[in-house]
Amino acid sequence: MIDNLILGLTAALQVKQFIFMVLGTVIGLWVGVLPGLGGPVAMAILIPFTFSMDPLSALLMLASISVGAAFGGSVTSILLNIPGEASSAATAYDGYPMAQQGNAKVAMGLSAGASMAAAIAGVLILMFASGPVAKAALAFSPAEYFALAILGLTVVSVAALGSTIKGLAMGALGIAIGLIGIDSILGSERYTFGFVYLLDGISFVPVMVGLFAITELTSMILQGGTIARAGRLEGSLWDGFWDTFRYPFTLVQSTAVGAFLGMIPGIGATAANFLAYSVAQRSSRHPERFGKGAPEGVIAPEASNNSCIPTSLIPALTLGIPGGATSAILLVAVTLQGLRPGPMLFTSNPELIWGFFMGLLVGAVIATVLYLVMIPWFALITIVRVELLAPMLLIITLFGAYANERNMMDVFVAIFFGLLGYFLRRHGYPLISLVIGLILGRLAEGSFHQALMISDHDYSVFILRPLSALIFAVCLVLVLWPGVKTRLRRGGAEAT
Amino acid sequence: MSTDSRGYWREELSLIAVLLLFFVGIVALSYHLPFDARLFPMVIGSAGILLTLGIAIEQVRRHGARDASTVDDDDPAAKADWPRYTTALLAAPAFGLMFWLVGFIVASLAAMLLIPVLMGYANRRQLVLTALLTVAILALIGPYLLNVDLPHGLVGDWLIDKFALRAS
Repeated sequence: MIDNLILGLTAALQVKQFIFMVLGTVIGLWVGVLPGLGGPVAMAILIPFTFSMDPLSALLMLASISVGAAFGGSVTSILLNIPGEASSAATAYDGYPMAQQGNAKVAMGLSAGASMAAAIAGVLILMFASGPVAKAALAFSPAEYFALAILGLTVVSVAALGSTIKGLAMGALGIAIGLIGIDSILGSERYTFGFVYLLDGISFVPVMVGLFAITELTSMILQGGTIARAGRLEGSLWDGFWDTFRYPFTLVQSTAVGAFLGMIPGIGATAANFLAYSVAQRSSRHPERFGKGAPEGVIAPEASNNSCIPTSLIPALTLGIPGGATSAILLVAVTLQGLRPGPMLFTSNPELIWGFFMGLLVGAVIATVLYLVMIPWFALITIVRVELLAPMLLIITLFGAYANERNMMDVFVAIFFGLLGYFLRRHGYPLISLVIGLILGRLAEGSFHQALMISDHDYSVFILRPLSALIFAVCLVLVLWPGVKTRLRRGGAEAT
Repeated sequence: MSTDSRGYWREELSLIAVLLLFFVGIVALSYHLPFDARLFPMVIGSAGILLTLGIAIEQVRRHGARDASTVDDDDPAAKADWPRYTTALLAAPAFGLMFWLVGFIVASLAAMLLIPVLMGYANRRQLVLTALLTVAILALIGPYLLNVDLPHGLVGDWLIDKFALRAS
């Protein structure tokens, strides 16, 4: 192991690799800040440029883009309530209220501290747990995947601010929107009404751009003034950075949530981001502070999405199963370099694998330094007049929606979901549940059908498998627990 | 009950009706599908109908008990005058329509110059400068850094075709 670490460090610390990591991180930070354009888009655009590079440089540059985008995605979540990356959406729930209170720099410092610590922890887990954990993830059957998708939806709906029933309805709406297009089982067209655009389903990017960016811009235009309501910035970046470590429980818990979900293919950093936020809120002694600028509300989602990215590479590198868009693109890059992902990669190319791991560690530090250097300039945006900022952001976000697939329909979809999101949010419907429903819907349906096929259409498969039954039991407890808790409290009060 | 609260209540009911209609549509339009393809939509659509009815019952009950959700004090729509409200709701659709018709550059310039004025921004010089800079930067970033050609719009394409035909 020590030999491998030294081998990897020697390979990763060459000047050439360092330059590619800095370049990748800067590109990642930049695309992370632009709403609608995420790390996977930038990675996909740059893949052709990596053909002529050596495998380690190519992988490190692509991975640095992903790490940089995860860091950068939090900037607009905090400053504008518009996630630059889908995986930073939950960061806005407390980051933006902090920015409104004039504490944008503190929030971004918290984000930097949590991101760095979690990214390093994620890489260490990737290094030391690759083999055993991938085997455990392989033991998950479709019944467990279906149960996990339902658990994700339940946790978010129950923990969402406002009414639980509205949260669950939004989850159902998200899943239902995900049903549009060709179904993955029989290939039947569903709800397409003859539109070619709808055959592939409604793309995730314009929905996110609409629900988060356009919804927020509509509110911003109505509000006027500046984002930092006092019109000035208070607090320090470094105070925020060090404050991260005053919440060790939230940091460790959220890193663990992100790292665990990263290892399960298909769940991804976006779901991890929301789930970690919900878990942190539920386990907090002051859940009422969440949504109003609680530091834990920034630490939890940022720690989870940054620990999720490295661990999503575990099934990708050891089994060839991508955990999400980022690891899928990295797998493509590995294949294009003439290499074959799988257990043999670890024995045939130890220098590449361990160089890549060590490069990710160094990359997390590079991303933190660059983020901290660039943040003070980003924070100034909160004291710009909304009258100038709103139209500028409107054209950038809709350009992002268009640029993703170069399709005009995506712009209209983003606008539709933006206006829908505005009215839903105004009436207390949690948009978070709609998004989670959309993300997990396809996974849920695919797993649901696969489980039934394997069990010869025996519906009891979901409760007869112990792990699946356990996950469903947790779902039930989560739904029933608030009512039980209220009754217990009433009983206690009557007794006294 | 004030006019604001009445409007808010009507909006709430309209949203519930739209959700109900959507879920009913999901169930109804799945009937012609093969069993495996319609099973999941039926389950989700039915769950959606039940949940929406639950929301409706909860809202009607609260409305009867004078405990219905009212306009939030922080709701910016409650304080906005009608020109600002109209600008907020129509800015994105109007930009989208212009983007489609006259292309990205013209639509962006129009949005950058008109929206601030409709919101009451007075510094024209700063406005023109910001608009030109933003559009110029995006016009460079799109094609050269992201490899995304900026669409000319239906009118723009028609004009290009016409001039191209004339040139030939």
